[in-house]
Amino acid sequence: MDLTFYGEDIKGLIKVDPRTKVLIFITSSLVCVSSYSDIGIAMYSVLLCILFALCGKPLTALKAAIALGVVLFIRAVLGSSEGAPEVVVMVITLITTSFMFAFPTLMSIYLIVKTTRISHFLSAFQAMHIPVKAVVPVAVFFRFLPTVTDEWNGIRKAMAFRGISLSPVQIITHPWRTIEYVLIPMLFSTMSVMEELAAATMARGMDIEVKRTSYEEVKIRLIDYLLIVLFISLFAFAAVIAQKIKAGGI
Amino acid sequence: MAKKEISNTTNKDGKKMRVKDLIFAGAFAAIYVVVMLLIVMVCGTIPVLYLITPLFVGIVCATIYELCVLKVHKFGAALILGILFAVTASSGYLPGMFMAIGVAVLAEVVLLIGKYKSKKLFLISYLVFNLNMVCPFSNLYLNRDSFMAMATDYYGESYANGVAALATSWMPFAQMGLAVAGAGIGVLIASKLIKKHFEKAGIV
Repeated sequence: MDLTFYGEDIKGLIKVDPRTKVLIFITSSLVCVSSYSDIGIAMYSVLLCILFALCGKPLTALKAAIALGVVLFIRAVLGSSEGAPEVVVMVITLITTSFMFAFPTLMSIYLIVKTTRISHFLSAFQAMHIPVKAVVPVAVFFRFLPTVTDEWNGIRKAMAFRGISLSPVQIITHPWRTIEYVLIPMLFSTMSVMEELAAATMARGMDIEVKRTSYEEVKIRLIDYLLIVLFISLFAFAAVIAQKIKAGGI
Repeated sequence: MAKKEISNTTNKDGKKMRVKDLIFAGAFAAIYVVVMLLIVMVCGTIPVLYLITPLFVGIVCATIYELCVLKVHKFGAALILGILFAVTASSGYLPGMFMAIGVAVLAEVVLLIGKYKSKKLFLISYLVFNLNMVCPFSNLYLNRDSFMAMATDYYGESYANGVAALATSWMPFAQMGLAVAGAGIGVLIASKLIKKHFEKAGIV
């Protein structure tokens, strides 16, 4: 398991301030719920992929972009398909819709997790005079999202190894057993990760209530301003204009 | 051995939240949100199940919540969990988000009444806390037209009509009832599981 706290952006062509990334995360989750149009979300997602690549993770960005392209293609074909059975169309619509819906949010979470060092994250928010008590839960929250999915994969493999299947039939016929078998190991293993994390922060003296200094240079640069303007205007485009185009029937 | 010492100090040193407690709250919030989203995604495919997700979430997530508040044992655990939940689950609709945060405050008040000692109030606070599962749906009740437009666009006509037919005026109250009922069942499971696994291991 990857126990490094956050990723890094040493190889990145541009260095983006963590605060900008959090802002991008917020606009991404807003785009998901306020834009009903594929065009808006697609444009937004492509921009996210480009940013991801520029931050030093071109491979992940490329994979995500390809997946996005495939889904968009399927959706485009789906709209013009006549005579296909309704059930199939509905199922495919559901799957592709969930993908489109989740893509910007997941990508922006990934952007925070994979390209930010935790010390950078903490010092950036400390520079804004936000108390540690507010920053730490948020930082840990983002750090734990991938951990939970990791643990889930591990548990599924362990269960398969023991011959306990996680098929829908099993879940419906033995709901209590499923809850116990999945939840308990997950809580146990994540809790040991939490204990380690707590010990590590203790060792770094996070408990002492003095102003902390940092090696990290925290500054919002030109590129951050550019990104902020770009993402907010694209969000506005996706939410408002794309909707108008749709209402106009184009 | 080292592990045991850490968990003991968590319960003993004073009433103030330490960084360690903040870590626990944030991490449990992550688990809570992932499990909740998983349930919503599975149930979201069928309109009827979509509207009764508060029930399922209550049943499954009670254990996570109880473990979080039992582990931290101080003011703030339920609040942090609630705020992070609100921000991720109902960020699309601001009134819903504030309602969810209000519910978390209420749950924290219930814990406060029990002075973080009463086992019963630990369990009861989840009945309150789980009401926040209704908040993401507030968009559907208070802002119906735009929700329908979105549902039609995303999931197709038949799905939207299914949701519309079910979302009558008494539906929010039914959902609140379901949320409390689910939380009730969940809490029973949680107390059993915690007794069976976590108390034995000396974690709580």
